[in-house]
Amino acid sequence: MKLSMRTVAGALDLPVSTLDRWIRQGRIPIQRSGADAVFTHAALKKWAATHNLSFSLSGEKADDQAPEALDSLVSAMKRGKVYRRVFGADATAALRSAVDCIDFLAEDIRNELLEKLIERERLASTGIGKGIAIPHPRDPLSRPPEAPVITTCFLEPPVGFNAIDDRPVFVFFVLISPTLQHHLHLLSRLSFCIRDREFVAFLGRHPDALDLYSHVAGFEKQLDAL
Amino acid sequence: MIRLLKKLKYPGRWSLFRSDDRLLLIVFAVIVGICSGLAALLLNRSLETMLAWLHHYRVYWWAIFLPAAGAALSSLFLEKIVNEGAGHGVPEVIYAVSRYGGLLRLRSGFSRLISSCLTIGSGGSAGPEAPVVMSGAAIGSNIAQAFSLNDRQRVALVGCGAAGAIAAIFNAPISGMVFAIEVILGEWSTMNIIPIAIAAVAGTEVSRLLKGNQIAFAHRIFDIHFHDILACVGLAVFCALASVLLTRALRAMHHLSKGVALPLWVRAAIGGSMVGAIGYLLPYVLGEGYHAIHKAIEGGFSGGLMLVTAIALLKILATSLTLGWGGSGGIFAPCLVIGAFVGLSFHRFMAAVWSSVIWVNEGCFALLGMAGLISGIMQAPLTGIFLVIEISGGYEVIVPLIVVSTISTTLCHYLEPASFYLKDLVEQGQLLRPGTDARVLTDLSIQELLETDCICVHPDMRLADFLDIVKTSHRNHFPVEDRKTRNFLGMIHLDDIRPYLFDPAMHNAVLTGQLMNRHVKSVSLHDDLSDVLKKMNDDHIFSMPVVSDNRFLGMISKATLLDQYRKELMVQTGRF
Amino acid sequence: MAQRLFHIFRNTPLGRETLLQSIYFCQQMGVLPTVYIPEATKFLMYFENDVVQVDLDPSYLNDPETALTHAEHLLKAAKMKPELFTPKNFTASTLPDIPTNFEFMCCPRSISDLSSKIGLGYIGPRVRRIIQAARFPVLITSPVYKPWQRIAVFFGGSANAVNALRLGIRVATLTNLRLDIFTQAGKNDPSKYRAIVRDAGLEKSLENILEGWTFFEKKRFEDNLYDVPHDALVVLGAYGHGIIRDIMFGSMMEKIQSTISNNLLIAGPKYTVIA
Repeated sequence: MKLSMRTVAGALDLPVSTLDRWIRQGRIPIQRSGADAVFTHAALKKWAATHNLSFSLSGEKADDQAPEALDSLVSAMKRGKVYRRVFGADATAALRSAVDCIDFLAEDIRNELLEKLIERERLASTGIGKGIAIPHPRDPLSRPPEAPVITTCFLEPPVGFNAIDDRPVFVFFVLISPTLQHHLHLLSRLSFCIRDREFVAFLGRHPDALDLYSHVAGFEKQLDAL
Repeated sequence: MIRLLKKLKYPGRWSLFRSDDRLLLIVFAVIVGICSGLAALLLNRSLETMLAWLHHYRVYWWAIFLPAAGAALSSLFLEKIVNEGAGHGVPEVIYAVSRYGGLLRLRSGFSRLISSCLTIGSGGSAGPEAPVVMSGAAIGSNIAQAFSLNDRQRVALVGCGAAGAIAAIFNAPISGMVFAIEVILGEWSTMNIIPIAIAAVAGTEVSRLLKGNQIAFAHRIFDIHFHDILACVGLAVFCALASVLLTRALRAMHHLSKGVALPLWVRAAIGGSMVGAIGYLLPYVLGEGYHAIHKAIEGGFSGGLMLVTAIALLKILATSLTLGWGGSGGIFAPCLVIGAFVGLSFHRFMAAVWSSVIWVNEGCFALLGMAGLISGIMQAPLTGIFLVIEISGGYEVIVPLIVVSTISTTLCHYLEPASFYLKDLVEQGQLLRPGTDARVLTDLSIQELLETDCICVHPDMRLADFLDIVKTSHRNHFPVEDRKTRNFLGMIHLDDIRPYLFDPAMHNAVLTGQLMNRHVKSVSLHDDLSDVLKKMNDDHIFSMPVVSDNRFLGMISKATLLDQYRKELMVQTGRF
Repeated sequence: MAQRLFHIFRNTPLGRETLLQSIYFCQQMGVLPTVYIPEATKFLMYFENDVVQVDLDPSYLNDPETALTHAEHLLKAAKMKPELFTPKNFTASTLPDIPTNFEFMCCPRSISDLSSKIGLGYIGPRVRRIIQAARFPVLITSPVYKPWQRIAVFFGGSANAVNALRLGIRVATLTNLRLDIFTQAGKNDPSKYRAIVRDAGLEKSLENILEGWTFFEKKRFEDNLYDVPHDALVVLGAYGHGIIRDIMFGSMMEKIQSTISNNLLIAGPKYTVIA
């Protein structure tokens, strides 16, 4: 396999000028053809191993290293669905009925989720004020969904949730994400929406799913334009 | 035809050598060894002829001007005809090896041969070995250049040239090998040792074919007792003192002659005539002095303690006069002479003080003295030991030899931290042995360490806009450059502006131009890395901007440096 | 990155013309002149696979007291920051090493022989060695200061000629000047040369700057050279691939340098195109 200077420099994580110097100094195995240096993959690999250098061609790298595009809020909400008239007498009961709504998760995972949600509430309330709470597990579930999910539950009647402004909570955004990175990304997008006073008023009207999605999509467009 | 020549010019591309260049190096080592061996013999022969030819005139009083004429001619030759500086050339070889992958000029291949032949043949006190080493090394280097070999292979061939030369002139293959590795290359690696050993063998064979297999200084068998070995410690001390004296005298003479405002060849002539005057009184100090060594080792040297000591001291003086004032030649042979006479005088001294003890023959002490001086001057104990064993053909002296060599080296190292060959290089910071810090830093250039992932900002930006840039950057440093001219104005470091970052009132009120540090220290692309590191250490900073012609090029930081430094070190010291 | 042109200052009227030429080149190209005022007549240049000792003609050391002021005066008159080169490394105490990592170097036709020898058809042995070994192109100046208003590239179709053409395109783009190509057609058809240029991927960059491509008709190459504009910077490759050509320049290069007195920018066989 013939490799170019640039590929080899990339594989060894070196500037091309260093590679050029190593060739001149005869420190790296090459063959010459005309004025160009020709590298052979096998020889380089062996050489790198004897010198404790890392050598990996970009083609060999596993794909998971490349940062994948993070999901949008709307698609996570669509996956999580919207439930209205969810009832719970107190905070724990409300959480339980919210978790019961999430039917796409297996039974044992749902139990784990509930436990983790309650544990998280015990640390500090996720009620962020204005009647909104974002319950979420502190760290990803043992078998998390492949893509992040936001389940929206409108509570009737509102429940006391120890929120920071002590107002009863009327909507849950249950946020379940496979990694912390997803979690932070969605959280920051969600909080951008909630900062808007009109959106909160809109939520207060307990809108139906399609209405909510289109509203949120409008916010996301604003965000992406930034 | 042209295609064939072209093929010949790039042997690295032959399928025979393609997989591994060891074979290629071995083939070239043989060629280089033979060539440098021939060069060594050529000088040896011409010296013998010249000495024999001039021998008849030594009786006349004007013979004292012979060394003057020789030194002046050799200086003129070096200055005007081949345009090379004076000196014996070994530091130049080491310099080229450490900095430029052993690139040497073609003219060095013969210039020192001729000039030293003129100096020594006319009676100047100097040795033919260093010039021969220079020639051999230059031959090796030029053969490598002609065949477009790379730096590593070229350095190996330079070593081969030096080894072949020493091996041929002394008929001593091991010494040639050890000298090349210990003094010239300073690196013990199998990649180098094999071709050098082969070149040494080739050089020796050339000398044996043309000169016959003779041991340079044959002697009788010595019967060494324990008290002789004890006495060696004392001898080592005297050898060390003589070495230091010679080193200092050479340098002192060099400085003295530099102060004289006369053309170089006149200075050489002055030194030469003084040597001639000394030689008129004591002919032993003239020339390379092998004849005197013969006599000393055979043990039949007449003359008392005073005379022997005087010869040793005057030889030191004559050598420093010859070389310090502009003659051309090495110090190898003078060292052997001085060593032999230091040994003799020590023996006479011992025999006088403890006359009841039966000492070994004085020839043995002469040999030990030679090893002591070589090891002391060059601070290369192995070269001293092997050289004396090989040129005397006696293995029974090995134990006292080791004692004298090591003690003399240690003492000299204590008094003169750098050896004679390396002293100038160390003073200029140019001794860059492979695998050392200095070498790694010289090989790496700022260009290779440049981090170009900084985002440039303009001085007329509001802090709010700047913060947007901060969000997308993963660096803490932001170079500020003029929007129009793109001139570098200063740096913004996040640490410096952290207090204002979270103050929304400031976001629209402050411009980046007001936040930046205008007096930031920068380096240029062609600065030495060691200087840059020193600057960083002095100011306790971890990264600096690289600015060239008022343009910001990138950052250089210790983190990247460590990364590259490690790679460089691994590649330099690793086995190929 | 700032590109640099290395210039060795000769403190004579001839040297003034050379420096003026260098300054003009630098102004046109946006290159920084680095001027070396020699203190000794010899220095070494270590190239990739060669070391060249340059023994300067003694006139370089004329009147050392005024050398600095003369050079600075010329540079300042051109509103350029005088950047002087001081050697850092020495092979021997009187033998400084000159680095070879410059982007350009300016040489008169001869630097080691007496300047009275300088004339058409003569390029000194040291200048030849430098051209053979250097990775940078060498600017060989005309005997007197002569500004140029266009670029002329000699293109013979070899690999090095393509390199020279690349260099010519670079110069033309940087200076905003028009570029002419000259080819001695000989046996080959002009379309063959155009194909070489197309294969090298240079057609597009030529589009905007190419003034014209002249194929010489006359048999004797020298007879055609009158057509080369007098105010052009001539860019050409010193053809040197192969063992015999390592010693001699290509025949075309010899004929050009002995016929025209324009400024020559020569890309040697080791010339590498800067990306």
